[in-house]
Amino acid sequence: MRKFLDSSWRVKLSALIMGSGQLMYGCVAKGIIYILIEIGFIAYMVIRGFSDIVGFFTLGTTKADAWLGTVGDNSVVMLLMGIFAWIVVAAFIYLYVLNIKSACDIEERVSTGRAPKSFIDELKELLDRKFYITVLVLPVVGVCIFNILPIIFMILISFTNYGGSIVPPELVDWVGIDNFKKILTLSKFAPTFARILGWNILWAVVSTALNYFAGLGLALLLNKDCVKGKAFFRAFPVLAYAIPGFITLLAFKFMFSYGGPINQMIKATGTAPIGFLDLDAKWMARLIGILVNCWISVPSIMLLATGHLSNRDMSLYEAARIDGATPFQQFRKLTMPFMLFATTPVLLGQFIGNFNNFGIFYFLRGGLYMDGYFLASDTDLLINWLYNLSIDNNYYCIGAAISLIIFIITSAISLAVYVKSPSYREEDTFQ
Amino acid sequence: MKRKIALVLIGMMALTTLAGCKSESKEATKEAASPTNTIFTGELEENVTIQVLENDTAISKGYFDELIKAFNKEYEKYGITAVDANMDQYLDLANDGPYGYGPDVLYQANDVIMQYAEGKHIYPLPVEQLDCYSQIPEAAWKAYQVDVEGNTYTCGVPVNVQAPMLYYRTDLLPEDWKSNWDDNKNDVPDMVENWNDMYAYSKEIHEVNPDKYGYMKSLYDVYFSSGFLFSYGGYIFGDNNTDTNDIGFAAGDANKGAWVLSQLASNMNEDCIDDTITTNAYSKLADGTYFATLSTPDTYTTFYDSLVEEYENDGLTEDEARDKAIENLVMTSLPKLPESGDLTEENPSLIDTKTMGGVNGYAISSYTKCPNACLAFVDFATNYEMIKLRNEKLGIAPAREDVAEELGGLSKQMYENLEKGNVVLMPSIKEVGQIWTPGQTFFTDLAKDSFRPESEKKFKDLDALKAGLEDMCNQISDAIHTLE
Repeated sequence: MRKFLDSSWRVKLSALIMGSGQLMYGCVAKGIIYILIEIGFIAYMVIRGFSDIVGFFTLGTTKADAWLGTVGDNSVVMLLMGIFAWIVVAAFIYLYVLNIKSACDIEERVSTGRAPKSFIDELKELLDRKFYITVLVLPVVGVCIFNILPIIFMILISFTNYGGSIVPPELVDWVGIDNFKKILTLSKFAPTFARILGWNILWAVVSTALNYFAGLGLALLLNKDCVKGKAFFRAFPVLAYAIPGFITLLAFKFMFSYGGPINQMIKATGTAPIGFLDLDAKWMARLIGILVNCWISVPSIMLLATGHLSNRDMSLYEAARIDGATPFQQFRKLTMPFMLFATTPVLLGQFIGNFNNFGIFYFLRGGLYMDGYFLASDTDLLINWLYNLSIDNNYYCIGAAISLIIFIITSAISLAVYVKSPSYREEDTFQ
Repeated sequence: MKRKIALVLIGMMALTTLAGCKSESKEATKEAASPTNTIFTGELEENVTIQVLENDTAISKGYFDELIKAFNKEYEKYGITAVDANMDQYLDLANDGPYGYGPDVLYQANDVIMQYAEGKHIYPLPVEQLDCYSQIPEAAWKAYQVDVEGNTYTCGVPVNVQAPMLYYRTDLLPEDWKSNWDDNKNDVPDMVENWNDMYAYSKEIHEVNPDKYGYMKSLYDVYFSSGFLFSYGGYIFGDNNTDTNDIGFAAGDANKGAWVLSQLASNMNEDCIDDTITTNAYSKLADGTYFATLSTPDTYTTFYDSLVEEYENDGLTEDEARDKAIENLVMTSLPKLPESGDLTEENPSLIDTKTMGGVNGYAISSYTKCPNACLAFVDFATNYEMIKLRNEKLGIAPAREDVAEELGGLSKQMYENLEKGNVVLMPSIKEVGQIWTPGQTFFTDLAKDSFRPESEKKFKDLDALKAGLEDMCNQISDAIHTLE
C-alpha cells in the first residue's frame, strides 16, 4: 500500500486503467493483457455479471408460468450464477492487485536503473522459478468450479427456504438462520439427532479401527515369508474391492434376507429363520453393517499397508529381535508407530468416509422409520437421515443445514486428531 | 496452523454475515387466467414432429409402432409426424422441459404425471373436446385434476387402469373343489371368491405339506397391503385425496383390514416380512409352492413364462406347456372380505375388497411448440380403435367404458371396480411420496408380529392395530408437515 501511495502517476494510472503503468514503462504485452482483462471484466459485468449479483440477492422476482408463457426466474440457477459472478469478481480483484504490484515492481526496477523484465523473461520464469504457478493454475480453476462452487452453493442453500413446496418455478428466498433455528429448536429433532449422532460416532470409530487393523493384519500376514502364493491370496481382497460397492451391498442384503442362502441353511437345520436385518434387529443389523463395511474397505487398507510395510527399516526389527522383543512388542513399538505416522491422514479420510458412509445402511436396511426416531431408523447414520429429510422429503435447505453441521463436526474431530497426530507434530522426523 | 484456523473462522464469519441477507417476500407477478382456450386454439400446427414418450412394453410389443404409423398416415396432409421420443421413462420434465429437452407427449401413471401439474410443467387440457371424454368414468378424470390458483384443471387423459390382481393356478385346486369348495355352485372356487375360504384353504395346504403354501405375498408392500385398510374405511388423504392434514390409514375400521393381513400372514412363512415373496413369486407359483399371490396385470407374462418353463421341465412340449399354462394360470379380481374382519368366521357377511390403483394416461408438456398437434395425437391415441388395439397387444384394462364393455371379462371387472370406487387411485399430489416408508414400516412390523413369541407380540388386538395405524399416520404427517 505504502509503495503504491509513494509511486508515480504512471502506477496510479494503472489503478484506473489496468496495464497502463506497464505500457508506459514499455512492457507492452503485459500491459495489453491487463487491459484486456479489465475490458473483459467490464464486458462480463455489463452483459450479465451485474444482473447475476443482483439476482444473487433477490433470487428472482418473476415466477415462471409455462401456461401463460412467462419464462420467469429460476432461483436455483440465479444463486449458482450469482456465486459464479462473485468468484469472477474475486478473481478480478486478485488480478487487479497483481496489476498494481506489477506496476510498482516495474517502476522500482526502472528507478534502480534496471530494465523492466521482458514478457519473454516473465514467461520463462513461469517455466522455471515460478513453475508452481503454471502447474497449479488449472487445478485451482478446476477446484474452484467443481469443488468450491458446489460447496458454497450447498452452504448458501442452508440459508434459503429451498425445498418442500418451494422448488422452481416457485421463487426461493433467503431466510437467514431460520433452518438452523428449526433444527436446534424443533422438539422432534433433538432426540433423534442425539441418538443418531451417538451411533454415528460409535460406527465411525469402530468401523475405522476395525477396517484399519484388519487391513494391516492382512497385509502383515501376506507379507510373511512363510505364506506361499501371496499374489494369489492378495487377489481375493482385490476382487472384493473391484466389485462396485452397491452390488456387494445388495448381494449381502439378499444373503441375509429371509429367503436368502443363510436363512435357507438355518431352515434346513429345522431352526426358525433369523431376521438379520428386519426391524427388530437393531444391534444385529448394526453388527452386520460393520462387518459388511469391513469386507468392502479392508482391501484398500491392505493394499495401502502392503506398500508402506515394504518401506520399513528391517534392521530395526533385527535389532529388536536380538534385544529379545516379542513379535507383539515389535508390532507395538515398531510397526504401529511407523504405520500410524505414515497413514494418519488416510486414517482420518477413512474416519470421515465412514462417518458419512451413506450406502451401507441405505442398501442393507433402507425404507424403515423406527419408534423413537424422527423419520429415521435405528441404523441410520446422520447422512442417511439427511437423505430422508432432504431428498425423500424434498427439504433441501434443511438437508444443507444438517450437512453443514456434519461438516463442522467431522472437520473439528479431524482437525483435533490431526493436530495431535505424529504425522503433524513430527512432520520433519522422516524427511 | 493458527493461520489456517483463523482463515476458517473468517470464512465462518462471512457466512454468518450472509445469513442476514434476507430479502422481502416475493410479489405475485401475473394473475392466472384460464389458459386452456388460448393454448388449444384448434388450429393445427403444420409440418411439425411430435416426440412421444411411451411405455417400454408398448414399444417392445409393437403397439406404439402401429399407433404412430396410423396417426402419421391420418395427419400426413398436415405434415404432422409422431416419433418415439427415445427417452428414459424416468424423465425430469420440471428441470429439463424449460431448456427444450423432454417429450411433447408423455404416457405415465397418474401420480407421476400429476407431479408436474402443480408446477405447470404439463398443459391443462380441453378434455371435453376429446372423443373419449364421455366414455371415461369421473373417478379416472379426477386422477388427473389439479387445483391451481383456485381453478380446477384436467391435465391428463386416462388410458388404462392398473390395480392388484389375484393370480392362482387351477391345477393346484383340490380335486373335490366343485363339491366342497363351491358353496354357491357358480363354478368359481370359493377360495378365490372370498378371503375366508382362501385363509382356510391356505391353512389346509400348509398343514398337509409344511413346504407348501396357499396365499403368499410380501406384506411390506404398501401398494398391495393398503387396499385391505381401504376396504374397511381407511383412505389416504381426505377431501378426495387432496387434504394432507387428514391422513386416513387408521380411519373407520381400517384396523380390521390390518387384522385380515395379520391372519393371512399366520399361514405364510417369514418370507412375507421382507421382499422375498415379491421376487420369488413367479417361480414359486410355477413350481407349486404357492397356490396364489397378488400382482399387477402387467406381470401376467412373467408368471406365464415361468409356468411354461416348469411344464417343459416336467416333459411337456412347448405347445403343450403353453396350452396348459393358459388353462391353469388365472388372473382375477380380488376375493371379497368378511365384514367382521375375522377370516375364521363361518358364513360371513362379505364386502368388496378395495385396492390401491393407478390410471395411466397421456399428458402434454407445457414446453411443446405444437400443443394443438399434440392434442390431436392424444385424441387419436385414446380413440376406440386404438384403445382396443392396445388391449389386444398389451392386455391392459381400458379406462374407456365402450371398449371395456365389448371386451368383457377382466377388463369389464376392472372398469366396474374403478367406477364403484373399489380401485382407490393414488393421490395426484406430490405428498403421496411420504406414505411409502411409514406404511412399509407398519406392514413389516405387522408381518413380523405373526412370527414373534406370544409374549413379544405388538398387535394382540384391534386396539393395538389401531394404535399402530395411528402411529403410521403420524409419521406420514410428520414427514409432510414438520418442516413446512
